[in-house]
Amino acid sequence: MEQEQQATAHPPVSAELSAGRNAYLKERIIRSVWFATAAFGALSVFFILAFLIKDGIPIFATVTPGEFLFGAIWNPTGAVPAYGTLPLWVGTILVTIGAMAIAAPLGIACAIVIAELASPRVRAIVKPAVELLAGIPSVVYGFFGLIILTDVIRVTFSIPSGETWLAGSLLLGIMALPTIISVSEDAISAVPKDYREGSLSLGVTRWQTISRVVVPAALSGITAALILGIGRAVGETMAVLMVTGNASLIPDPLYNVLSPIRTLTGTLGIEMGETAIGSAHYHALFGVALLLLVITLAVNISAMMILGHIRAKQTGTGNGPGRTAALITRFRREIWISVAAILLLVVAVTVSPLAAVLLAISGAIWWYLLPRIQPRYRQTAAFGLLYAALAVVLAALAIILGYILINGLPAISWEFLTTAPRALGREGGIFPAIVGTLCLVAGAIAVALPIGVGAAIYLVEYTRENIVTRIIRSGVDLLNGTPSIVFGLFGFSFLVIYLNFGVSLLAGQITLALMVLPTVIRTTEEALRGVPASLREGSLALGATQWQTISRVVLPPAMPGIITGAILSIGRAAGETAPVMFTAVIFSSRFLPSSLSDPVMALPYHLYILATNVPGAETNQYGTALVLIALVAVIYLVAIAVRTHYQKSIRW
Amino acid sequence: MNLRSKPLIAFTLAVILLGTAFVCGCTDSGAVPAAPVETISVTGSTTVLPLAQLAAEAYMDTHPEADIRVSGGGSSVGVKAVGEGTAEIGMASRDLKSSESETYPDLVEHVVAKDAIAIIVHPSNSVSDLTVEQIKSIYLGETTNWKAVGGPDAAIVVVGRDSASGTREYFQDAVMNKEDFTTTQLEKNSNGAVRQTISQTPGAIGYVGLGYLDGAVKAVPVNTGTSIVDAGVATVISGEYPIARGLNMFTAGQPEGLAADYLAFIMSPDGQALVAEEGFVPIA
Repeated sequence: MEQEQQATAHPPVSAELSAGRNAYLKERIIRSVWFATAAFGALSVFFILAFLIKDGIPIFATVTPGEFLFGAIWNPTGAVPAYGTLPLWVGTILVTIGAMAIAAPLGIACAIVIAELASPRVRAIVKPAVELLAGIPSVVYGFFGLIILTDVIRVTFSIPSGETWLAGSLLLGIMALPTIISVSEDAISAVPKDYREGSLSLGVTRWQTISRVVVPAALSGITAALILGIGRAVGETMAVLMVTGNASLIPDPLYNVLSPIRTLTGTLGIEMGETAIGSAHYHALFGVALLLLVITLAVNISAMMILGHIRAKQTGTGNGPGRTAALITRFRREIWISVAAILLLVVAVTVSPLAAVLLAISGAIWWYLLPRIQPRYRQTAAFGLLYAALAVVLAALAIILGYILINGLPAISWEFLTTAPRALGREGGIFPAIVGTLCLVAGAIAVALPIGVGAAIYLVEYTRENIVTRIIRSGVDLLNGTPSIVFGLFGFSFLVIYLNFGVSLLAGQITLALMVLPTVIRTTEEALRGVPASLREGSLALGATQWQTISRVVLPPAMPGIITGAILSIGRAAGETAPVMFTAVIFSSRFLPSSLSDPVMALPYHLYILATNVPGAETNQYGTALVLIALVAVIYLVAIAVRTHYQKSIRW
Repeated sequence: MNLRSKPLIAFTLAVILLGTAFVCGCTDSGAVPAAPVETISVTGSTTVLPLAQLAAEAYMDTHPEADIRVSGGGSSVGVKAVGEGTAEIGMASRDLKSSESETYPDLVEHVVAKDAIAIIVHPSNSVSDLTVEQIKSIYLGETTNWKAVGGPDAAIVVVGRDSASGTREYFQDAVMNKEDFTTTQLEKNSNGAVRQTISQTPGAIGYVGLGYLDGAVKAVPVNTGTSIVDAGVATVISGEYPIARGLNMFTAGQPEGLAADYLAFIMSPDGQALVAEEGFVPIA
């Protein structure tokens, strides 16, 4: 900057011209690089889609698309093979609905507490705790669910088996929470202070400010959070397949949450690894993966339409959230009435009509009394409920962590951490698995972070909405909704088989990188958008080039958000089983990988194997789970420390 | 608002982060204790896997230059892998299917052990024995209460294996006469997972290899009409137990090098001792 100022102060004409040309060229190159990264992010999803179609289409030589979609029996190895996916996709939808019924209210409530109510000290504890919840690998959730949750459900409801839809939804609900909380919280925190101050200065309570001003203003972010949560729930494999029983049937009656159920992802998880390549069954599984992608596509498109609608309303009138708030208020009654009607109907059918009538009466009393209660008391009640939601979430975290800590600590020893497994992992240690996981994560982040941040910079800073960005954005959104098991299938089909990498470290790293890429892009985008436009305008007005503006003005304050994204990505990559179990891992190895083409052990897969394949490995199961969680926690602590540092130093 | 110094810190940190990622990735993969000379890959059936892994560990203890990599996947994967040459040895808990021996005519079968499929229930279940017909009726979904087969008055939770399992395929042939399982069957993708579920579920029934029996589940004796037979090593050797099969390893052509040594080790008295230790039935 100073040099440039000097240059303009004493202008040797030709030097200035060439400097200008160079700067222009530099800008163009930088822009092209970011465009390339964005295009890569978007194209990879179409590439995945193409590969799934290539391997999925041959199944229609065996069955018609109608039979495949609506056949009620999935039995690929029966006397007469049947490839009907109806029970599978119905199962996926039901489990997801159940999970969101749990996660949406809890998640939004927690986000409000963290962003609006909690003191900085409480926040400093709660926020990392929520991120830790995100860091708990799905296979650990599944392990916990298999051993504790299904048993609790079986005893509580005195049913023959606890492996049920309910167990799956509970686990998925907890797993979707961190995504919903952190993204909603970012959205709520991003609402400018003026809105709150304006509202409070009118003499209303904090609760009224939150519920009528802040939350409506953050609505697009919260919607995005819920959609991300749905994506997480639809695509989750390991936890679901460990607790839902995997019986391929449609619950009877349809709302019987105590029925076993099988999801699309579960089917892929248990059958994919064992199917002969090229058989009808193999192609049918790719068909299932396609179906899974189409469902996530549908979810994402509807979500994008909702978001687009909200944005259009906001920008169309030009006076922002006030207008949106009015819109929401106008619709609120209709939304409430329809939700209440559905709820009553369900209660009337499941429990008894009497209970429904009682519920309706108490609801009516509630409806009548609510506006007549003083705002102050309403605020107390609302805050109480919000804190209760936070307490529930923290309790879930404490139970899971406590359980694994208590059972896992006795297994931990120097030998356990530094030696190779023996006797199928019943004895010996997990050193190769620790190293394997570190290698997988390091490779994945090294690939995903530059591409992801670059793509986000291009999308936010360099473009106005046009057809190209819309395609890129749709591609990234779709990639984001793509279930981890689908990445696993793609990695297997493309990297392992087609490119002939074999089951290898490299195939696993690339697969994981693709998987976390959208998380990096999304969070970086959100962070960049959080930087006020006035800063950019100020910088540009001073004569800075676009790249100077981005690198010196926009990126630094966006760093905390970008780092948050990297944290979430690392957590996911370290804990994921589904993408690596067909691409990178082996059951057991006493050697460390010597090159990128070697297969590796990985902690999550090792835990999965110990929990489901090896009898008599209880101690080492808990030990492995504990090490996995501890590893993720350490990564998080480092990253959180970095973020806190930034948050202290940057405020506008 | 001293934003000037921020970008420097930001980029330093970003570089450090990325740097550690790279260095970590490289040094980790670089640091190898005594590079192995010969590597073979053994893959396939999860039933045979414990045996193969134990034998591999014992073999590598005395032969530090060998690296034997054992992984699961299922019988079909094992046959496919060795047939396509992606693994040196394929494991299967069943015989080759006719389609497989057509596709891969040069596969050589090595029977490394025998195994019985035990019918297991929760330890609290009072059922004394089951005939093959009763087991079949339960898995068809026709018998749904333990009372009908001499057990407590409780619903039966049918637990089976996933559709790529060799154990399931054998079970479907030997017990079910190839008829289809009930749709309410809970499907697990490994012997261990079946055992885990049964040990936690009082009303459940499942089937696993002998190696997976322990105190957490109860093996139900099979009533053959003439006698009541426990699942065990002795009854498999004597041929009395009706649900038993060979555990196989396949090689493409006659085995060579490390694969031949490894197979020879499994067949040796030391190797067969491991077979017995893991709860399988040694061959002769």
